[in-house]
Amino acid sequence: MKIMVCLKQVPHQDARLDVRSDGTWIQEDNIKFEINSYDTYALEEALRVKDSGEAEVVVVSIGPDRVSQALRTALGMGADRAIHVNDAEAENSDALGIAKILASIAKEENPDLIMTGLMSDDGNFSAVGAMLAELVGIPHTTAVMKVEHTDSGLKLERELEGGALEVVELPRPCLIAVQTGINQVRYASLKGIMAAKKKPIDVKTAGDLGLAGQIAPKMKIEKVYTPPKGDGAEMIEGSTDEVVAKLVSKIKELGLL
Amino acid sequence: MGNILIVAEIQKGKIREATLEMAAIAQKLAGPLGKEVKSVVLGKDIGAAAEELSKKGGGEVFAADHELLANYNVDAFTQATRTAIEAAGADLILVSNTPSGWDFAPRLAAGLDAGFVSDCFNIEEEGGKPVFVRRVFNGKLDARLLPQTDVVVATVQPGATAAFEGATDGKVTNLDAGIDAAAVRAKFIETKVAESKGVDLTKADIIVSGGRGVGAPEKFTETIQPLADALGGAMGASRPVVDAGWLPHEYQVGSSGQVVTPKLYIACGISGAIQHLVGMKASNFIVAINKDGDAPIFEVADVGVVGDLFEVVPALTKAISEAKGG
Ligand SMILES: Cc1cc2nc3c(=O)[nH]c(=O)nc-3n(C[C@H](O)[C@H](O)[C@H](O)COP(=O)(O)OP(=O)(O)OC[C@H]3O[C@@H](n4cnc5c(N)ncnc54)[C@H](O)[C@@H]3O)c2cc1C
Repeated sequence: MKIMVCLKQVPHQDARLDVRSDGTWIQEDNIKFEINSYDTYALEEALRVKDSGEAEVVVVSIGPDRVSQALRTALGMGADRAIHVNDAEAENSDALGIAKILASIAKEENPDLIMTGLMSDDGNFSAVGAMLAELVGIPHTTAVMKVEHTDSGLKLERELEGGALEVVELPRPCLIAVQTGINQVRYASLKGIMAAKKKPIDVKTAGDLGLAGQIAPKMKIEKVYTPPKGDGAEMIEGSTDEVVAKLVSKIKELGLL
Repeated sequence: MGNILIVAEIQKGKIREATLEMAAIAQKLAGPLGKEVKSVVLGKDIGAAAEELSKKGGGEVFAADHELLANYNVDAFTQATRTAIEAAGADLILVSNTPSGWDFAPRLAAGLDAGFVSDCFNIEEEGGKPVFVRRVFNGKLDARLLPQTDVVVATVQPGATAAFEGATDGKVTNLDAGIDAAAVRAKFIETKVAESKGVDLTKADIIVSGGRGVGAPEKFTETIQPLADALGGAMGASRPVVDAGWLPHEYQVGSSGQVVTPKLYIACGISGAIQHLVGMKASNFIVAINKDGDAPIFEVADVGVVGDLFEVVPALTKAISEAKGG
């Protein structure tokens, strides 16, 4: 079985978010990046299939040079090989453009299963997985919390609201967009990291995939900005003792002490 | 210029509140954008629901009644919505950002080669065009998006706007959903309701919740639980805490956990992503302790402390115990 896992490298969850000078995204120089949290769960789920039998895990990521770091991490965790699409046009594209790039890779690779994260921690669009499935012409399910491999396909539990779940079956080939918490994600071992150095990363451009000029964004971010402050909270300032004294008196006022 | 199509959602046989919120947005945009509002109801035996929506801002409502729409099915819903888009002559398609909406809306957009934007909390009109406003970075920043194409599929955040108020005299038109059963590959098996376990946070008067900022499972025992105990309350958590296996799922507050409304909710090291906020913002009194003064949690809190929870929480625990003992 061949599994294609799509990864995005995103600003670290604790990175400082400053809006860059053109106002359309954040300032990405000198901040730390990491693999999107949702995607780490997708990768882990794929690696578990590999651990339990025959599977090749191919990781794919789109982004600038820094992305090779994320791919090395994924290879260190156990993926077999990586494809890195490094392309200026892709940088300015949108979810649909990204899905088009991934679809052309999927058509070359012909995987039995494609895995993505449910959404990315930066844009929060939650779009690429379902779009990719449509473009490849395979069925999909999002917010997957449990995967059971059957002879012909997958039996999945997908998350609804309030902890409810929906059981869905999909035939292979198919795509699943994984929700966080589906598993406990491994770390790359030292041995894995060493082995990863010898694993191939194939670098491509949109042009190589025949997509030059075809991934212009259909939705353009006009600007990003700090949300306007509403009434907000009454901020309590002072030393820890002062803060605590004020909190205690608030709780007393509520009649809870 | 095309019309607006609202894709309605049925919950327990009725039109879901989130659909009526989209009706409010659509009715507000229709005039300035020069569009008509139309809707589609997908399901089985949905006549009454379609009728209801036609009177509550849905405009002309297409009722797509089909066996394969009885339960949510990604393939059937995508196909039927495309049929409705044709029938409505729509170029702005609104879907709720709910588990079914976020599942098929992007797929629909890709099939139409349309623009797609998700989880909008507002759609404005500017120069005769829609502008989509949403959060990015889990609520830490806002973004405004402009379509570069005529057809746009947008999902709308439930609860972000008030539902349509008033009465309209729309009409209901039956629609042959045009579903090709052979192309429906996904198969719905069943829905499993959440099991109720030991901890029922919905009954607690006081909840002290910890987030990813708490940093480690033992810190919950050392720092968060003692404050909950001192106050005679319960402990809660945000999702990353549960995902990491630090606490079981029954502690999770939020859209995929429990929705709580205690008299006092203390959020420690929780940033305030929308999925957490929907689970606790209706609490009577909210205290937020976070080292980041820009964290969105402070927008819903009554009282905020910018500081290290590992200093503030233990000191508060001690002071509460003293106040109770003395
Ligand atoms: C479909 C879906 C469903 C979801 N359902 C839920 C849900 O039910 N419940 C839920 O909570 N989330 C849910 N989420 C996840 C949600 O989007 C956020 O990722 C999550 O709420 C973030 O949790 P957090 O605030 O603990 O972590 P973060 O956003 O990482 O915030 C951690 C915070 O801790 C602060 N901090 C760090 N150290 C300290 C310190 N020493 N002292 C004080 N503050 C500190 C930081 O400043 C930061 O603000 C869902 C997401 C999706 C897509």
